[in-house]
Amino acid sequence: MAMAFRNMLRNVSRRIQVRNYADAPRGDEMALTFAAGNKVFYDKQVVKQIDVPSFSGSFGILPKHVPTLAVLRPGVVTVIENDGKQNRIFVSSGTITVNDDSSVQVLAEEAHPLENLDRSAAQEALSKAQSQLSSAANDKAKAEAAIAVEVAEEIVKAAATA
Amino acid sequence: MSAWRQAGLNYINYSNIAAKVLRKSLKPQIRTEALRRDESHVRITPWANGRPANLQTTTPK
Repeated sequence: MAMAFRNMLRNVSRRIQVRNYADAPRGDEMALTFAAGNKVFYDKQVVKQIDVPSFSGSFGILPKHVPTLAVLRPGVVTVIENDGKQNRIFVSSGTITVNDDSSVQVLAEEAHPLENLDRSAAQEALSKAQSQLSSAANDKAKAEAAIAVEVAEEIVKAAATA
Repeated sequence: MSAWRQAGLNYINYSNIAAKVLRKSLKPQIRTEALRRDESHVRITPWANGRPANLQTTTPK
């Protein structure tokens, strides 16, 4: 009798433990903070998925992603919101942080939605950068121009898909 | 190692160039406002004998 009671107590306590664990903050949500020098796009908003271009490769982030730090590569960040809406934003550069609690921070130096990009202006920036690259006098000027070319190419590409 | 790292540039330099190119590639009305943010000024006031000497305002490139 006493033993049965003890078993029951143990079962109950185990169940309570399980319930407590499930009541902890939901781990299947991902709060995104996305800001640039010019604008705050998301402030701890729960979203479905984020695709980012980085120097360690382009990758998609879903809730419970392994904690990660990476530097951004110029390109399009795609945010898939909870209602399935896709928001495409071009970032110049910056950092992406994925934390243990599934929160994500995208911090960019400059970021604009694709519809703000001007294809002809980007084309102009590209040809200017290309001529600077060919007339660069030293390694540093050459490297700077090469970066500008790389970025301008990405913008032209992104503007074409806007 | 990327070419720009080899040339002695760091990611801050890279980021600055990338942001500048992006600001130049925006639609005209947004571009004007963005390029204004690109400018920065440093005001240096050298002091001599307890009072400010000539004022200088520099605009880094």
